[in-house]
Amino acid sequence: MTSHDGQSVTRAVSPDIEEVPQRQPFTASLRVAERFGLVILLAGVAAYFALNPATSATFPTTSNFRNIAANESVLILVALAALIPLVAHRFDLSVGAIVALTSIAAAKATTSMDLPILVGIGLAVGTGAIIGLANGVLVAYCRANSLVITLGMATLLGGVAASWSGYRTIVGVPEALTNFGNGLWLGLPRPVILVVAVALGVSFLLGLTVFGRRLLSVGVNESAAHLVGLPVQRTVALSFVASGALAGLAGALLLARTGSAASGVGVGYLLPALAAIFLGSTTIRPGRYTVAGTLVGVFFVAISINGLTLAGAADWVEPVFNGGAVIVAVAVSSLLTHRRLTGAARR
Amino acid sequence: MFDATVDASASALSLVGVSKTFPGTRALADVSFSIEPGHFHALVGGNGSGKSTLIKILAGVYGADRGGSLRLGDATFDVERLSPRWSRESGIRFVHQDLGLFPQLTVTENVLAGSSYPRRAGGLDWGEAHRSVQRLLDGLGAEVDARTAVRDLRPADQTLVAIARCLRDRDAGGVGLLVLDEPTTRLPADEVEGLLRRLKSYSQQGQSILYVTHRLDEVLTYADTITVLRDGRHVDTRPAAEHDRAGLVASIAGHAPEDVNRVSRTASDAVVLSVRGLTGGPLKDISFDVNSGEAVALAGLVGSGRTSLLQNIFGAVRPRSGSVEVAGLPVRRGHVADAIAKGLAMVPEERGRDAAFQSLSVSDNLSATTVGRYRRGGWLRRSAERRDAERDVAAYGIKGAIDAPISRLSGGNQQKAIIARAMRTSPAVLLLDEPTQGVDVGARADIYAQIDAAVAAGAGVLLATSDLDELLYLADRVIVLVDGRVTCEASGDRITRHWIFENVYQHEKAPK
Repeated sequence: MTSHDGQSVTRAVSPDIEEVPQRQPFTASLRVAERFGLVILLAGVAAYFALNPATSATFPTTSNFRNIAANESVLILVALAALIPLVAHRFDLSVGAIVALTSIAAAKATTSMDLPILVGIGLAVGTGAIIGLANGVLVAYCRANSLVITLGMATLLGGVAASWSGYRTIVGVPEALTNFGNGLWLGLPRPVILVVAVALGVSFLLGLTVFGRRLLSVGVNESAAHLVGLPVQRTVALSFVASGALAGLAGALLLARTGSAASGVGVGYLLPALAAIFLGSTTIRPGRYTVAGTLVGVFFVAISINGLTLAGAADWVEPVFNGGAVIVAVAVSSLLTHRRLTGAARR
Repeated sequence: MFDATVDASASALSLVGVSKTFPGTRALADVSFSIEPGHFHALVGGNGSGKSTLIKILAGVYGADRGGSLRLGDATFDVERLSPRWSRESGIRFVHQDLGLFPQLTVTENVLAGSSYPRRAGGLDWGEAHRSVQRLLDGLGAEVDARTAVRDLRPADQTLVAIARCLRDRDAGGVGLLVLDEPTTRLPADEVEGLLRRLKSYSQQGQSILYVTHRLDEVLTYADTITVLRDGRHVDTRPAAEHDRAGLVASIAGHAPEDVNRVSRTASDAVVLSVRGLTGGPLKDISFDVNSGEAVALAGLVGSGRTSLLQNIFGAVRPRSGSVEVAGLPVRRGHVADAIAKGLAMVPEERGRDAAFQSLSVSDNLSATTVGRYRRGGWLRRSAERRDAERDVAAYGIKGAIDAPISRLSGGNQQKAIIARAMRTSPAVLLLDEPTQGVDVGARADIYAQIDAAVAAGAGVLLATSDLDELLYLADRVIVLVDGRVTCEASGDRITRHWIFENVYQHEKAPK
């Protein structure tokens, strides 16, 4: 009985059958496990590599942790960038390409154009914001699908970056910039200070401002957001501007970290960033995209890969782990959401 | 005359003593009637009469209470154990208001969707597919080519295509009963007649049809037999020829007590809402005023444009032309934020889809419109927001914690929160679309008290409701909409159950 008639009968009569089923009471321990599952897993993975004889000499050291934190700083900025439109249920797949283009922009500005470093950074952030504005206008005001628009934008920017860099790696950036990227401050890698500041800023933006509340409202129920008078389109467009600007900052940081810029480098940050966000949405506040969750996601992936690499695993571990993390995270969070909405357990 | 027992085996469908109880309400009480084979049998009744429940039982969506009996042809079925599969295998077919067609596909593809296509060596036999569909359409008297795309057909012909789809397996199992659920609601008046004539002649070839509608003139002209339900009870089943319009209206409306103990109000002369020449969607040149301290109800059938009117006034939909003024100030067309700033507030019909932010807290839901008030130097002051939420939860009797997701609240408490949110801006005009739909009795009384309080404080209320008791209780004045036009209005004591039925069920203009 799978004919269309049969389906249309059930569909047409279902809406007013009864109320939405109430969420079944989760047991307290299960709720804790859901909220802190990934955090506990992260601690477990770290403990494993600290105790495992193969890695106990190299893994639990200050320099290794400094390394991880500094290495992940660009990825965290990219993830926070993609996080902002995602709260409003829009994908920004162009963040990686923006990193590539803006790192080249900053490199060009500080080398061949001989501009001050701050101008170079400003150029990177500004370029990112303008690209974000283009994304935002297309997605919000033309009501285009964000996946397709930003995927197209990513491809387009990849071409622009390749042509602008002339397929060469740009080197010779000022030392002051690379010093920031690799130096320590109060025992912490300097990029970590920047990342902490940005994470706090995004956290504040999402949680404690009118804009953040609007973003969340649009993400939860766009139709209702429209009917309570929220400026849905402007909010969505601005979220892409913020995303682009932050990805631009990530581009400048990438340049400071590596001291060089090439068109192929940035794109690789997209999938790990999404992996971190989706992993993060299964923890702390399950079902929501949060800054704290995203950080847990980044470090879960980073520490796992770092430990495996120290244990002698080959390079292919990284893509396999990142891809696997996206798949598992999205499957688990979709399942949890579905169960929440349909009343958890069967009677 | 109604007679289910004498010759039950000859009936296409026969119900005896069928009831359906939901927690708290009895949707159907001891309903008995039968449909003769080859009859065009109409089922009429107001909202809450039990029509939809009856159809859902026939569709097998739910079983009926123990004790009744249901007979199709010679077979008797256990009314407690009905399923969509049972319905289908018993040869009952449905055409709903929403036809469920695929507009881009051809008639043949639509009719055969979900069933097996004729095959021949190497693939589908399209020639035979088109021919078989064409035979079905010809049988219905439809002047439609099976190869055209459905979107190119006139609305009435699209309905015939949906009917043809129900009948496609007629040779295999036979269609015992064809149920048409308000198929003419969305049709232009001049196409209704052609459709009904074809259905009538199709029934005369032996097809039993159960036809559910609000449009009494159609029924009086075309149906063989008419069954009236009211408040879940069977009122009568008689040949259409024995009915006249006035009698039928009286049967549907019943003689329920007219004296609902409602508060009498004294509206002021100050106009708070002024609508002029509003046109757009189904609406045609609508003009009216609402005064301060007055509740005005919009009465009309499904599809008459009640919801559209509220959406156009509020700017959720941009009207094609016309103007809306709130307390003398013009409201920008199609601009919700401006409408709210000028003093409008709306409670939408579909709470889950258009009003509630399900995964957000009660507090976040309450301050969705007014969140800007808690901004101090770019920072949201949560303490002030929480204080206001606590205040509203207490004032509106919302049972639930302010930090809990609103989805954990019962429907009634969710609706109270939505109304509390609308009141946050102290609106001059409240637009309420089915404000107590899916709400339990207790919450309903609370909501009425809130609406009364707002009106007493000088707000104007514009209410769209299908619930007649609600309309009679709340409204000081009623405006009747028929097919997107204002046809008449009444106020004070002239608003009676009978007046509303008489005017709401009035037929739109006859085809020219």
